[in-house]
Amino acid sequence: MKDLAIGATGTTGRLRIGIDVGGTFTDFVMADAETGRVALYKEPSTPDDPSRALIEGLDKFLAREGMAASDVGGLMHGTTIGLNAIIMRRGAKIGLIVTKGYRDILEIARCRMPSSFDLHAQKEVPLVPRARVVEIDARFDRDGKLTRAPSEAELDRVAREVSALGLDAAALMLINGYADPETEAGIAKALSDRIEALSISSAAAIWPEIREYERTLVACLNAYIQPLMDAYFARLTEGLARIGVTAPLLVTASNGGSLSVGSAVARPVETILSGPASGVMAAVRQAGQSGMDNIITFDMGGTSSDMAVATEGTAGIATRTDIGGLPLVLPVVDVNAIGAGGGSIIWADAQGVLKVGPQSAGAHPGPVSYGRGGTEPAVTDCFIASGFIDPANFGGGSMPLDGDAARAALEAVAERIGMSGEDRAARLAEGALAVASAGMAGSLFRTMAERGLDPRDFVLLPFGGAGPTHANLLAEEIGIARILVPQAAGAYCAMGAAGADLRRDFVRSLRAGLTEASAADAEATFAALQAEGEAWLDDELPEIAERRAERSADMRYAGQAYELRVDLRPGDDAAAYAEAFHREHERIYGFRDAGAPVEIGTIRLAMIGAGQPLAPSTATGTGAPVRTRRPLYYKGAWVEASVYDRAGLGEGAKITGPAVVEQPETTTVILPGWAARVDEQGNLIIERTPA
Amino acid sequence: MSSLDPVLLEILGNKFASVTEEMCLTLQRTGRTLYVKETADFACALAGLDGRFFAYPRSIGVSGFVGLECLPAIEAVIATQGALEPGDVILTNDPYRSTGLATHLPDLHMIEPYFHDGEIVAYGWCFVHCSDVGGRVASSISPVNTEIFQEGLRIPPVKLMRRGEMSPEVKLFLDANSRTPEANMGDIRAMLASLATGRRRVAQMLGQHGAFELTAAQEALMSYAAGKAEAVLRQMPEGRYSFADYLDDDAASRLPVRVAVTIEIKDGKVHLDFTGTDPQVATAMNIPSCGRPHAWLTLRMLALVQTLDRSAPLNAGLLRPLSITTPLGSLVNPEEPAATGVRHAAAIRVNDILNGAFGIALPDVLPAAASGTVIPIVMSEPKPTGGRMVQVIEPLIGGTGARRGHDGVDGRDSGISNLANNPVETVEAELGVEVLHYALRSDSGGAGQWRGGCGMELSFRVLTDGSHVLGRGMERLLFRPWGQAGGQPGQPGSLVINEGHPRERRLGKIDVLEVQAGDIVTFRTPGAGGWGDPMQRAPEAVLADVEAGFVTAERARRDYGVALTGGRIDTEATAALRSAAGTNAGTVFGPERDTWDGVFAPALMDRLNAALLALPLSRRQSRRREIFETVLADLPTNFPRSPVSDTQREAAARRLETCLNTI
Repeated sequence: MKDLAIGATGTTGRLRIGIDVGGTFTDFVMADAETGRVALYKEPSTPDDPSRALIEGLDKFLAREGMAASDVGGLMHGTTIGLNAIIMRRGAKIGLIVTKGYRDILEIARCRMPSSFDLHAQKEVPLVPRARVVEIDARFDRDGKLTRAPSEAELDRVAREVSALGLDAAALMLINGYADPETEAGIAKALSDRIEALSISSAAAIWPEIREYERTLVACLNAYIQPLMDAYFARLTEGLARIGVTAPLLVTASNGGSLSVGSAVARPVETILSGPASGVMAAVRQAGQSGMDNIITFDMGGTSSDMAVATEGTAGIATRTDIGGLPLVLPVVDVNAIGAGGGSIIWADAQGVLKVGPQSAGAHPGPVSYGRGGTEPAVTDCFIASGFIDPANFGGGSMPLDGDAARAALEAVAERIGMSGEDRAARLAEGALAVASAGMAGSLFRTMAERGLDPRDFVLLPFGGAGPTHANLLAEEIGIARILVPQAAGAYCAMGAAGADLRRDFVRSLRAGLTEASAADAEATFAALQAEGEAWLDDELPEIAERRAERSADMRYAGQAYELRVDLRPGDDAAAYAEAFHREHERIYGFRDAGAPVEIGTIRLAMIGAGQPLAPSTATGTGAPVRTRRPLYYKGAWVEASVYDRAGLGEGAKITGPAVVEQPETTTVILPGWAARVDEQGNLIIERTPA
Repeated sequence: MSSLDPVLLEILGNKFASVTEEMCLTLQRTGRTLYVKETADFACALAGLDGRFFAYPRSIGVSGFVGLECLPAIEAVIATQGALEPGDVILTNDPYRSTGLATHLPDLHMIEPYFHDGEIVAYGWCFVHCSDVGGRVASSISPVNTEIFQEGLRIPPVKLMRRGEMSPEVKLFLDANSRTPEANMGDIRAMLASLATGRRRVAQMLGQHGAFELTAAQEALMSYAAGKAEAVLRQMPEGRYSFADYLDDDAASRLPVRVAVTIEIKDGKVHLDFTGTDPQVATAMNIPSCGRPHAWLTLRMLALVQTLDRSAPLNAGLLRPLSITTPLGSLVNPEEPAATGVRHAAAIRVNDILNGAFGIALPDVLPAAASGTVIPIVMSEPKPTGGRMVQVIEPLIGGTGARRGHDGVDGRDSGISNLANNPVETVEAELGVEVLHYALRSDSGGAGQWRGGCGMELSFRVLTDGSHVLGRGMERLLFRPWGQAGGQPGQPGSLVINEGHPRERRLGKIDVLEVQAGDIVTFRTPGAGGWGDPMQRAPEAVLADVEAGFVTAERARRDYGVALTGGRIDTEATAALRSAAGTNAGTVFGPERDTWDGVFAPALMDRLNAALLALPLSRRQSRRREIFETVLADLPTNFPRSPVSDTQREAAARRLETCLNTI
């Protein structure tokens, strides 16, 4: 599999292509190394087999751009197949083997309910039903000593029971296995060897971090999506070969980097959140090129909106996220859902109060204006009624929308909240967008409060189909003064994919008081992880020259219930470790406890092979020709806005709000009191005009 | 409904709620102690000029305090220390002097007036469960405290901050009366930071929307919530519904403690009458409601509205259609100086009786009893370097009750708190224990057409001599979580040392248990109640439970009338078993409660409690003890665990009658 994908490392094609498969569209970005040109393309997704839209779209895109398959030098691809399978619980039939006494590890989980107030709340559906969990008399103590070694007879018994379950795959988790992953892997192999055609993965070998439930989940999630992903990439590689593309295919990962197909098939769990992560990475790179280091990304999609925060040019990384109700502890780009998306439904409750979401019309049936059977108005319908988007020119005219139907549906809701008069559709739309903005701003303020940051110090960077349309409303609500809308905003996850680094995270749990001896242990562990990382890169793409390793450790004051992730440097001694921790504690929590003993927990190393940087994009047009004018509804009145074609805007072009900038993938709205200029990379920089 | 524009109302409602969550996040980020960081035992909110919360956080902090009232504490300060000025912050922890704002002494409550143009426009509020406020024991809480004076420093509502400066006198008193003065001051500073966050964000909203809209929105949001609550109440059939339940004991004696309620639903309103509840106890389980529709007594009502209308805003307006009667001197409205440290233990059972009473009105909506227990199992072991290491092994809970159409949830219950458990590996890394078994408890969930959630089982081997195990909060070892609509009760909880070994000991409730290396300690929490006649459960569902191991084949046969042969349903045998079984209906309390009620019938208990409450406070407890001693005299010592003969029962009931007539 891997050889097939990576075999053609000698290719010198000039094009790098980023591909992101979404629910509605499969997005393509093509970066031409010779000309520096960046082109975008969208193909309707084919959810039954996402590889079909990918192959057909790529073929059409190449033809449209007059390029040959042999011009393609690299493909970077993100997919949500794994994520969808987890959310819909449509993965493989897997089993779990655990230490005796822990059969209910997935049932008990962390013991929390999703809601405190709901008398009807249910817990998440476990990935492995209780009947497919088999106990084994094996466990380690806290020092990694195998205190219960399974006998041959016990291994035979477990193998027999597991075999009888008829599984696609299985995972093994032994208590305290994180302290000796090699031995646990050996037991997994001893079991695998006893069962024909069943792979059993060791949780400790995949992710040797302390906390048995979370580690079990990593292994189960991995096994759960592996067969699907394997089949998908096989189809994809075959399809690419069919249209003559032989360039290496890389798969984007949740940590913002990418992996070879071989690695992605071995550890698909590392790729499940890759789409949003890629978009954030593209935003960080783009903003960095424009000299902006502190950004909040705003990705408004069909069902919801996401945000992420980057400070000093680095995107935040989370080591605990939620995947369909299950916690994931792998490092991922920290993306937070903040509320309404374009498909969120606008409704009135029994008391006549206006509501936005949480139900979504999604892509099917979609907003009323899509004309696919949706009857309840959605946020996208509000954009139409407010004049923010032109229904006739949606998707560059490829997908005209029904503006009259959108207005009629909004009028019906307006009546339910006692709103009447000529412009009630537009007034209701403005109200609903304000409700949506207030909800998003609230989530954003909370996310920032957790980190002790003030959003007003940040630049808002919108992307996704509706991000640039809503961004100015959101910026006004938050009090942000500057917005950067990149050229490729409408296909930004694909853009991020095209520029991704290779990256893999490694982990080991130490758990010791911080002393010279334990700091030396940590250094030795870092060195071992780095060697593992180097070997991985050599295997992945040996010609990658620019490599770096990022070190960090989870640390805490002795007795504290929470840990902080602290960045460390090679050669740090115990004093340097302690100071790095005190400093981080002070930054986040406002105090340090210089006298308290410090403990070191999990050691983390990210191995990165730098991808080729994309050439900065450039402005495509000249000047700022007004294409047409149309009224926008804003603060209870219609204001006449100039409408521009994004492709026609040249560097230095200046636009004064109210204005609309259209491109096939998205529409940018510039409100009264705001003005935009086009920078040399073709970004729209929108700023509040001084009063 | 409200006069405010329905769009602005939604916007301001979202924003205010978001401000309270930001306040919480600030508090959590800057707080120093375990209660703040780990168990999130804190909350923040915004109160209107009436002192009621018009905005409350939904997803962080303690969810149950929406119903608290700030006004009495504010008025107490104004009366004794003068009008509030910008920068003033009120501090209190005294349940009696704050008229129920605080409910036990470790909870420090703060209120800050938010000003605009010289006028107060709102109050910021927050509370933290701090580490220690002095008193008889470390951490200030012990179930066997008999008076509030043993529970630590009482802080009447005082100005901690005057015009932005901390009162040095108040600080001196605080520092001198805690075992952990520095940690407390750390938490106090975090609370001040959260109040400042609220002040800043409210000022920002004032700039955006104006003072008129903001104050109008407070009332509009409350009446909006009240409208939601009324709409829910109107779905319930009008009428009076009574329910009573027992705590196994009061922690100092073996006498059970009764809580009883009659709810009356009429015209979109509800009245809760707790008459029939036991007199206040001489331990720390009393709920200091001060006669008000207090948060601890009304939580289930909030949960019910939120369950039936998920779009309802979380604020005190939800309680507007509710009124309350709580007999003065009872467990749910104790007189000073009753101790209140573990009032949550009684609150759990209050939740259960409200659940039971509303369940009669809305049988298809409310579940059977949840396991009704939260046991933080704490280990204290000697450190090699001297001193002791104290740490929670696991907070053990049970499951949720079944309801029509749905089995209960196994091993989870957010009814009282929604705490995360501890990874076994981090526990083993820090304590000398080996956790042998951490699992759901088979056959513990009450049988029913829908099965009650399973309780849990935790078994660990002690590795260090001279260790202590604490298991406070053990409940339902005697009286089981009841089933509803013919569903059976869950299994009661238990505690065993060295189960199956010659040194086996079966223990009841423990406070502190001394154990040695090699001892194996096994806790089992109760299962939750089932719903509906178990003979009506789909045989396939019973089979699935047996395959998953939630129910054993023997119990499938006995409790569900489902016969299994070779892993398949034996249809004929099942039909025979089921036709031979009787039908089940109504609330099923289980044998212990039935035996108890055989002597202490509900009507007699109502009369007894009315008579006891008529006595002076000083004589109530001793009289009650005498009466129970008299009645229990000729009954077996393990009454009501084992059944009694009719003669014994009738004689005891006669003795109770006699006592009642001579109080």
